[in-house]
Amino acid sequence: MNSVRLVGISVIFTVIALAIFASFLATHDPNKSSIDFLQGASTAHWFGTDDLGRDIYSRVLFGARTSLSVGIGAAIVATLLGVPIGIAAGYLGGKVDVLVVQVIDLFIALPGLVLALIITAMVGPTLINLMFILGFVMWPTIARLVRGQALGIRESVFVEAAKALGGRSSWIIWAHIWPNLLRIVAAQFAITVSFAIFTSASLSFLGLGVPPPAPDWGGMVRTGFDFLSITPLVSLAPGGAVAFTVFGFYLVGSTIE
Amino acid sequence: MLTYIIRRVLLIIPNIILLTVLLFWGVSGLLGSPAGMMLGEDASPAAIAELNARYGFDRPIYEQYLSWMWNALQGDFGRSFTTQQRVSEAILPRIPVSLELAGFAILLAMLGATILNSIPFARRFLSTFNTGASVIGITVPNFMLGISLIYVLSVKLHWLPTSGWVNWSDDPGEHIRRLIMPMITLSAFYFGSFTLVYRAEYRAVYRQLFIKVARAKGLPEWKVSFKHALPNSILPVITYIGLSLGQLTGGAVVTETVFSVPGIGRLFVQSITSHDFPVMLAISMIIIIGVVAMNLLADILYTVVNPQIRLN
Repeated sequence: MNSVRLVGISVIFTVIALAIFASFLATHDPNKSSIDFLQGASTAHWFGTDDLGRDIYSRVLFGARTSLSVGIGAAIVATLLGVPIGIAAGYLGGKVDVLVVQVIDLFIALPGLVLALIITAMVGPTLINLMFILGFVMWPTIARLVRGQALGIRESVFVEAAKALGGRSSWIIWAHIWPNLLRIVAAQFAITVSFAIFTSASLSFLGLGVPPPAPDWGGMVRTGFDFLSITPLVSLAPGGAVAFTVFGFYLVGSTIE
Repeated sequence: MLTYIIRRVLLIIPNIILLTVLLFWGVSGLLGSPAGMMLGEDASPAAIAELNARYGFDRPIYEQYLSWMWNALQGDFGRSFTTQQRVSEAILPRIPVSLELAGFAILLAMLGATILNSIPFARRFLSTFNTGASVIGITVPNFMLGISLIYVLSVKLHWLPTSGWVNWSDDPGEHIRRLIMPMITLSAFYFGSFTLVYRAEYRAVYRQLFIKVARAKGLPEWKVSFKHALPNSILPVITYIGLSLGQLTGGAVVTETVFSVPGIGRLFVQSITSHDFPVMLAISMIIIIGVVAMNLLADILYTVVNPQIRLN
């Protein structure tokens, strides 16, 4: 086991554990405001409080739930769209391939964040919408990768043998193509999660995130930005959490490849 | 060569038309009635009808699209809903600002990645630093990096102004001071990805025979690296720049918002949050067409630079 990947895996497990046990680990109610607003780090408020007197540490913990759901949800949507389309194009070839490559090229050229901004402005930023929007923005990368791999595997001797023995396409895809794609899909899944969390945090920083009062890292950074000279932790703590999580998923994804 | 270029340009046109149709249909279909949004929920039906007639929102969608496109091709993007300013007048002065920021950021990333990874002793000592810096560049979101820079360099050290913009013609020194932080913020991601792309190629090039020949004839190591290895490893970075231009606009949107840079990206975010339909539509179209055109340009440049891949 690669040591860099081990670091990534421990980061991911830490974040997931924090999200699951947020209600036990939190010291305060994340949405309860108090009169102690904009305080620095103290024993009562580990990361201080925000402009409404809410505890930053507890909000960061609960924010992990939002970020992870959006990130993992988006990666699932992107994989469910990208893998079948990629296999269809790479394995079947012909007209399907030409069409799919056209569509992929068209989408890959487009700026993901800008596209996500436009679509989010149209349909509104709810948790479910964000998953589908980011998944929709990110599927072409997965499809392109899978297509390239499937194209290579199709030419290999074991596929030829399976064909010669009379195997149907559906069987060959299931038994020969898919197992050989698993590794690269897993790597790309982790990378997609990291960029989905990155992009959704950017969206909420720009004002198109999950609506309040749900704690959401990008939105917290945005509020804290105004109070940077008073208590920097209001925005630096959630911002650091985004970077930490993205870093973990990115490390795992890039070392599997 | 010329036929290749012409064919590529012709192939791009249907793509652009398709994208603009999708965008126009999406924006007007899903955003609901612009009149309702402009006048609020309590508006009387008569007022809405009057506004619809004035802006032409009551016409069928394809008619609206065609007339919008016809005017846009002549440089008329309509008027902003919020400021009533002409959209072209609102956008035009902002384009050079965004281009300057993006251009300098890409240049900084490219110089940084190629030079830092070509210094001969860097292969041994700077390697870990470069890997760390590139992973940080890729995974730390722009807004986080920007805010951290503001906190350290402006709030704590008072070296640079927090945000805002001064034109070159008003005060060149101040212009540069205000460009530094946004430039670093925007370039970080590209420094990271260029490093990864460049280093992979550089290592492959270094194993080739002409490097051995250069060494054998007694060239010092830094000359071998900068004169022979660097020029032969830079092509993938150039291709990568072409591919990452789309990403760059996204980064620019966030960076301009953090540092209050009066560029096109910040206007875009403002137009989205204030539902300023004509501005939003115009900027989206400019970004989409710009990115598609730049990709094409990168493809063509690539074939010019490298005759081996002249596709037929």
